[in-house]
Amino acid sequence: MTESFEPRIVGFLCNWCSYAGADMAGTSRIAYPPNIRIVRVPCSGRVDPLFVLKAFQEGADGVLVAGCHPGDCHYGDGNYHARRRYALMHSLLDYVGVDAGRLRIDWVSAAEGNRFAQVVAELTEQVRELGPWAGRQEREVAA
Amino acid sequence: MSREIQEGIRVQARELLGLGEISCVIGYEQGPKGRVRPAFVYDQAGTDRLVWDQTCHHNLVVYLHDRRKGGKTSAASRVAVVARPCDVRALNVLIHEGQVSREEVFVIGVACPGMAEGATLQAHCQRCRERVPVFYDALVGEPARVKLPADDWSDVAELEGMTPAERLAFWSREFDRCIRCYACRQACPGCYCFECLAEQVDPAWVSIAHGLSQKAFFHVMRAYHLAGRCVECQACDQACPMHIPLSLLNRKIAKEVEALFNYKAGGDPEIPPPLATFLKDEELPL
Repeated sequence: MTESFEPRIVGFLCNWCSYAGADMAGTSRIAYPPNIRIVRVPCSGRVDPLFVLKAFQEGADGVLVAGCHPGDCHYGDGNYHARRRYALMHSLLDYVGVDAGRLRIDWVSAAEGNRFAQVVAELTEQVRELGPWAGRQEREVAA
Repeated sequence: MSREIQEGIRVQARELLGLGEISCVIGYEQGPKGRVRPAFVYDQAGTDRLVWDQTCHHNLVVYLHDRRKGGKTSAASRVAVVARPCDVRALNVLIHEGQVSREEVFVIGVACPGMAEGATLQAHCQRCRERVPVFYDALVGEPARVKLPADDWSDVAELEGMTPAERLAFWSREFDRCIRCYACRQACPGCYCFECLAEQVDPAWVSIAHGLSQKAFFHVMRAYHLAGRCVECQACDQACPMHIPLSLLNRKIAKEVEALFNYKAGGDPEIPPPLATFLKDEELPL
């Protein structure tokens, strides 16, 4: 079972830096694990912590939230707000049993194609080791 | 002690209603089955109904939400509310958030001896560091001379000591009992959205299905929405018919908020709430 386990990871990437960083990885032909499903959002500040909670509920094994480096936000301060929100949400999720290793908050700029690939590879490996997420919706089990 | 407070509340209520400045006094009365319940007193004759003892655990500040909805207490004049220290902190949160204005509420502050649970005090009263409300218009009762213990967060730490799998098992067991009655939300002074996400249908964030994951989602969502706002009055715990330790969730966030942002909900109105502000150079665990 664990041998064939491929983690499903949802990535919320900000339009201005991290999504462009992912694009950079692509155009530079840098390989990264195909486990990540990318959702493009205007800003890391747009990623309501409930999006992450919902992703886990719907069966994601891991979640990545990535935005511009602090100080580089296109809108000035979106990522500063995100940083505070996720500092709390991360520990709350861990507290209710979602292993802290399943969620990663990171900053990836538009020029950091390599770094994007590295972040995705690290998270994928980490989640692979943690195994499938057990707390997802029951219908998954029934199906 | 309780008798003094009860007498003080009645005297205040009579006087306020007599002066005609107050349209309603929100307090407690003896209900059926030997339990106290919230009471709304509109005239002097009714003030003898008001009681107070150490089982008056309802946070009456929730009835101030009514004012916004044009409910019973929405008359143009002020209302008086009987409030313990934790209730007043909750009121402070509502004032910060512009839900209630200070002028329209007369606070009958209770110098609280703590809420009883059997022969001892409830857990949150045992670690409560305030016996006198942060503000009030009239204070009833004598502040008890007790040694106020520091909060050691031992209940939260116990869970933190488990592995994630054990915590998941613990919370699954607890949340599985939830019957989605939303009593916790109704009892909570911090939950005042006209349309709760749990009932919103478009988009349907929280399914109305009765599965474990939906119940867990609701509770984690509610806890997160109370981040930096929960005053630990434990009205949710008291209201829960299934005895789910909801405050254990809220206290985890309160602990983090205090550790990371040195903030305690319902305190100084000059300090912005932690999630409404940021510091550029702060180092946070992500």
